[in-house]
Amino acid sequence: MTAAIETRGLVKTYGEKRALDGLDLDVPEGSVFGFLGPNGAGKTTTLRILSGLSHPTSGEARIYGRDVVSATNETRTDIGYLPDVPGFYDWMTAVEYMHFTGSLFGIDRKTLVARTETLLGFAGLAGVHTRIGGYSRGMKQRLGVAQALVSAPKLLMLDEPTSALDPIGRKQLLDMIASLRGRTTVFFSTHVLSDIERVCDRVAILNAGRVVKSGPIEELRARHGATRLVLEVAGPAAALAERVGSEPWATDVAPGEEGMLSIATSDVGRARQVLPALIAELGLGLVRFETAEVSLEEVFVDLVGGEGL
Amino acid sequence: MNGFLAFLGKEFREIFRTWRIWVIPGITVFFALTGPVLARFTPEIVGSLMAGQSAGVTIELPDPTYVDAYLQWTKNLSQIVLFAVIIVCGGLISAEKKAGTASIVLTKPLSRSSFVLAKFIAASALLIASSLIGALLTWGVTYAVFDEAPFAELARATGVWLVFALLFVAFLELLSASMDSQSAAVGLGFGAYALLGIGALWEPALRYSPCGLLGAPTEIVTGAAESVLWPVVASLVLAFALVALAVAIFRCREL
Repeated sequence: MTAAIETRGLVKTYGEKRALDGLDLDVPEGSVFGFLGPNGAGKTTTLRILSGLSHPTSGEARIYGRDVVSATNETRTDIGYLPDVPGFYDWMTAVEYMHFTGSLFGIDRKTLVARTETLLGFAGLAGVHTRIGGYSRGMKQRLGVAQALVSAPKLLMLDEPTSALDPIGRKQLLDMIASLRGRTTVFFSTHVLSDIERVCDRVAILNAGRVVKSGPIEELRARHGATRLVLEVAGPAAALAERVGSEPWATDVAPGEEGMLSIATSDVGRARQVLPALIAELGLGLVRFETAEVSLEEVFVDLVGGEGL
Repeated sequence: MNGFLAFLGKEFREIFRTWRIWVIPGITVFFALTGPVLARFTPEIVGSLMAGQSAGVTIELPDPTYVDAYLQWTKNLSQIVLFAVIIVCGGLISAEKKAGTASIVLTKPLSRSSFVLAKFIAASALLIASSLIGALLTWGVTYAVFDEAPFAELARATGVWLVFALLFVAFLELLSASMDSQSAAVGLGFGAYALLGIGALWEPALRYSPCGLLGAPTEIVTGAAESVLWPVVASLVLAFALVALAVAIFRCREL
């Protein structure tokens, strides 16, 4: 199967600054792919290169096997794109704008009218007849998503699509993205971890212009870093925390309130053997012992060192 | 082709739905309507002003004719209208880049070449329509005021000016495609106008280059014009080359 997006050694420099530093990325067709990274990691630069707005300094970028630098109308027909700050013709209404963007694709009038009604309804802009110049940022963002979908694209690329939306708008957009799974490849950038966890099946974590981790979210959680154990003991947990902290399998120990202890471990089997013995040795009673799910946030913080959070 | 025609349609709708409809068409219509009237009453106006200031001195002005009305028209075209063209066209492309509108439309099936060409065609069409309407109004009002208004020389003078103005549209489009600042493009546009004025002092440039079109409309009206074929051909070829260069530069630019 041809990858929807494929980049190899993608480099983009602005003077001395290296915005992308050998970016390798594979976005499988049909996936909902989250592109996660702190501010300034290179997310927007990547999307701008993929959409043909910017040119790479070196390296390759392909969409459905076609080079983006020499992209033709055929390539652009496959893409729906929403920039981070979308700009519109203020003198148009939303319906006019949708008809205009649809006509760039040569979509017939009947289809365009029906699609415009559906998409503006989804965007919460049905019945809004004022000019776009009077829209709020959130309304413009929602119109931006609607226009990106007007051609029913094979690949939808969204740059920080939820950044200007209120909680309801955000939920609606994420639900819409989830509903496209299997039909349209969705590639969207964000620094909001919960958005990724909510709808994406795959994620690439970007830092300083490089992909530091990429794969299915579950695999990433399982493969990367520590499992977290949550303990509750009867008695003061401080002494236990000190003893656990000196163990080689404990990567992070965080005492909580009233006998609670959160331990990140690189060897959960060893931890399970040793911890009950330590608790007994210190004369503490074991109240609770459970394995907690490692969140994407923890993976992200670990990989990028907490930048951008 | 779909993308080009759709975008060209947007450009024309934008002209009619925004301030653009009021600037160049508004200015040309205003001067077309007032120029002949002003020419007709200039001797009376000057006479009444001088009467109160220079006792004992009498200034005799010749009776105005349709030539004075046509001169008003060509002078306004060559200066105020051309300056308006420079100011308006300075942001032809950079304004869309700055507003972020180009970032959306150019990710759709609309090539950068089509984007630049559609902009040039729409701006040129606006200029052609404005000057045509202005010339017709000038002719009509001149006839009404002076009972005489030969159309051929007015049409020729306006046509020659139009070629000169289209050269500036092409030059401003090139500047706007090359730089983000509209004011810098406008400044360079005025600089080019000044350079052409200086170039017109050199006889070969006056005969064979666009420099020859700077004063040509006025000379046509006064009957002092020599052949402007070479300056017209040179201007059209140069305008074509400038648009082609604008396309080439814009295709390489970051948006």
